[in-house]
Amino acid sequence: MSQARRLTGPKKYLAVVLAVLFILLIWQIAAWSLPDFLMPGIPAVLDRMSEALLQPDFREGLLGSMSRLGTGYGFALLFGISFGLVGGILFFFRETLRSAIVILQSIPSIAWVPLFLIVMGFGNLPIIVVVALAAFFPMALSVMNATESVQPVHVAAARVMGASRWQLLRRVYLPAVMPELITGAQLAFGNAWRALISAEMLIGFGQGLGRSLAYSGEIADMVGVMMNILVIAILATVIDQVLLEKFKQRMLRYQYV
Amino acid sequence: MQLSFEEVDKRFGDLEVIKGFSHDVVQGQLIALVGPSGCGKSTLLHLVAGLEKPSAGKVLADGAPITSPSPRRTLVFQEHALYPWLTLQANVAMALELQGVDKAAAFQEAQTWLGRVNLAGFEQYYPHQVSGGMRQRTALARAFIAKPEVLLLDEPFGALDALTRMALQDVLRELIEEHQPTVLLVTHDVDEALYLADHVLVFSARPARVLKAFDFAHCEKSHDLSGFAAERKEILSLLGIKTEVAAR
Repeated sequence: MSQARRLTGPKKYLAVVLAVLFILLIWQIAAWSLPDFLMPGIPAVLDRMSEALLQPDFREGLLGSMSRLGTGYGFALLFGISFGLVGGILFFFRETLRSAIVILQSIPSIAWVPLFLIVMGFGNLPIIVVVALAAFFPMALSVMNATESVQPVHVAAARVMGASRWQLLRRVYLPAVMPELITGAQLAFGNAWRALISAEMLIGFGQGLGRSLAYSGEIADMVGVMMNILVIAILATVIDQVLLEKFKQRMLRYQYV
Repeated sequence: MQLSFEEVDKRFGDLEVIKGFSHDVVQGQLIALVGPSGCGKSTLLHLVAGLEKPSAGKVLADGAPITSPSPRRTLVFQEHALYPWLTLQANVAMALELQGVDKAAAFQEAQTWLGRVNLAGFEQYYPHQVSGGMRQRTALARAFIAKPEVLLLDEPFGALDALTRMALQDVLRELIEEHQPTVLLVTHDVDEALYLADHVLVFSARPARVLKAFDFAHCEKSHDLSGFAAERKEILSLLGIKTEVAAR
């Protein structure tokens, strides 16, 4: 039933390929109409990218960025899901947490950087905390909101079968909110990724991807700027569209049969 | 398991749903509760299941007050009570897993029970892939696998077409004869009550009280209910229906 409402197979891939070609076309048109030192073309940037990927410095920076992202995002998922689920069964806790999130979420995560920088010092920690904070809010909110629409009959059926509170959370609430949880995780990933790059650009510590981009900008190396932007786009797309999408199809297998 | 209701009241805020209900249900009896929509019959089942507590009075199971749900008293819902993210087999197995049976043994047992309700071969299907009748067969398997002493049926076949419903009534009847639980059946279908029940309690509109109790114990039953025409007519008229057109 559900398949009819979405594109599948080759058609879906074709749509993605078209979108990518469209973006690249715009870029290349800009490159043709602007001088090289303002907007480099695709071949020059690709050359630089293959060069950079061979440099240990760049690779280490990339790895550092990824580990900061993984740690921050991982914590956000863990706490976001747990808080969201617990909020699902403790109504007072839910309302309190929701209000707190609504207030805190209105603060752009990057605005915390000066505070964390002074409190935690230069290093990985302030970036990780900013990433975690940025991802936590959408994660907790989507899980918490989803728990409200868990069908009462599903909860009642489990209670009648003798489920404990923990079993209710684990066996009913968690699978019931899984579709929204995954949407929340994708949303949270977008937030985490943006927070990571901007915090790295701002803090200027070490050799992360954000720092590498900011540095290229400072020395007006436009090939470097475009190369870093390209890396950022490719990585995010791969993580979101491949890893998280695979995870989604695995967890929601029952919706695809 | 014997059930006793002693002067049970149930209110939801200002809404008085049940007032002064007293009744004893003997071990192994099948009582059908018939009455207008929203009269509090389902609430009675929820009280026995331990999902709700009485506002006043007592609900006793073998003499002890019911305080919380227990797998010994299980409830079958009208529909949509299967978990859409689990296969039919996993749905049935969950009843055992929640009681601490390990997964492999629970799945093994679930397969046997699916076979018992004529669903062999459908173990790996998800609820949305099978018909409403098959879903309710699965729900019955999930209820019986835990060997409950009390079976509470809340309009279990209310969403099914007439023929499927009759087939399911026969499956249910066989299972009940085999396992002899005490059964409370809430239904809107007078024929279903007549066919399955030893006793039929006809309820008034809210707050629910018993208008009349019918005794059909020791009657030979078949889907041809012409031998019960007089009782059928009386129950329908108690429910405010004047012609022979059955209430749905």
